[in-house]
Amino acid sequence: MHVFRTRLPARILPAGHPFALNRIAGLSFIISLLVSVQAFANTDSPTIRLFPTTVVEDLRQTSSVAKEMETGLQEVIGRLDQQQQLYMESKCDGAEDDPGCQRLAKQLGATYLDMLGIMEERLPDMEHTVNNTRLSLEKRIRSELGNKMTSWTLQETLLGGNPQETSAPSPTMRGRSGMRLSERFKQYYQLVASSSSQTDQSLAVLASDIYLDMEETSELIARTREEIARATLVEQLNQSFGTITPEMMEIVGGVKSILFGDETSPMQIAGPPPGSFEQAYRSPLEN
Amino acid sequence: MREPDLSAPFKGALLIATASVILASCATTPPPCVSPQTRNLNHAVEDVKSNLRGGGCAAHFDRYYDDLLTIAEGDPKAENKRTFSEFLVWTSDAGLLSQRQARDYYNRYFNVKFTSMQGDYNNCSHTCPRRDRVMLNMERELSDKERGLLKVSLDNDAYYRADELYQEIDLVLEATCTACNAVR
Repeated sequence: MHVFRTRLPARILPAGHPFALNRIAGLSFIISLLVSVQAFANTDSPTIRLFPTTVVEDLRQTSSVAKEMETGLQEVIGRLDQQQQLYMESKCDGAEDDPGCQRLAKQLGATYLDMLGIMEERLPDMEHTVNNTRLSLEKRIRSELGNKMTSWTLQETLLGGNPQETSAPSPTMRGRSGMRLSERFKQYYQLVASSSSQTDQSLAVLASDIYLDMEETSELIARTREEIARATLVEQLNQSFGTITPEMMEIVGGVKSILFGDETSPMQIAGPPPGSFEQAYRSPLEN
Repeated sequence: MREPDLSAPFKGALLIATASVILASCATTPPPCVSPQTRNLNHAVEDVKSNLRGGGCAAHFDRYYDDLLTIAEGDPKAENKRTFSEFLVWTSDAGLLSQRQARDYYNRYFNVKFTSMQGDYNNCSHTCPRRDRVMLNMERELSDKERGLLKVSLDNDAYYRADELYQEIDLVLEATCTACNAVR
């Protein structure tokens, strides 16, 4: 909620009896100004408050932490790709006893350990900011959509003013994995930061979408953190033998797809069937 | 000594005559509560109204409504919505349905909003514990809307919006119920 503080500069403050009328007029002007500003704010602001400034700030923070993690990992993943390519081109697959291949495998393993180290270092921050966003959204959704609304009012909120009108393009982004993590959060942030221009209906969908995404991301991060310690230990053992495990390649592939998106094309959303443009009939029985 | 009953032959004749009248009437009167035989929606509505007027066929209302929808599917057009609305207003005025029932019959088939999303209590306490059932009811209602909005009234936009609304409600309820159930 906006709080307007108004303080008149001392030099224009009326003082003493001769200015009493001026003072009253001034005060009433300020009060009427405040009332009209408040009324204006009321009509403009959404009736459901799903994105207070704390949530917006949490989203911005998550986006920047994700960006930092990606930047840190980009270089090491690039190096891993090159080393893996070299390993394949040298036909080391199946020739593990070759001393040259063993050297390449050790280098690859060391880079892999670097990657795990960076993730181990950055993931707690990521987890923290994602959890903050998730928890603050959870609180807002529980209060605004769960406790203050019935199923009927929720439906009316989602429909907006005119149920016959097709809604604006949905901001839903769930399932679009072909997108960088930071880019996804950046989009969320931008959508939410411009939420004053959005209607309650899309805000409810947007909040739900972000919240469920955060739930999944949060679980994924927790699982990844658990795995990192184990994977590090396994790779340290592998370093002694100079082998590349299929699991190693799988983990690198997984990290790449989470952070930088995969090659799958964005989901196609079917358009509406061709509609009639006639004026819609409205029954007296309609709710 | 008992006197002979002179009226006996008349009584017998009366019995035979009554039986003949009953049998004859069975042969000419159509069986009660038949479905409308015409393919014209307006005529069919009039047939149904005349059957319902006596009150004896009121129990068959669901079947009649279904018959009318089937007939309307044969000649889909935007005006069909009005025909159904007027028919339901008539049933309510005639006391066959309550106003609420008439509204539900109409909205289930011809409105974007879901009648199965009605409830006076908040979502955390009322909707979330039975979310699966609510979604199942909505899914069934969506198929009725497909019939009413798309196949009967050719209102593609409204059906598309209802379908979209169904998906939005699914998403928002999933998030809301997860938030309601979270004890952290």
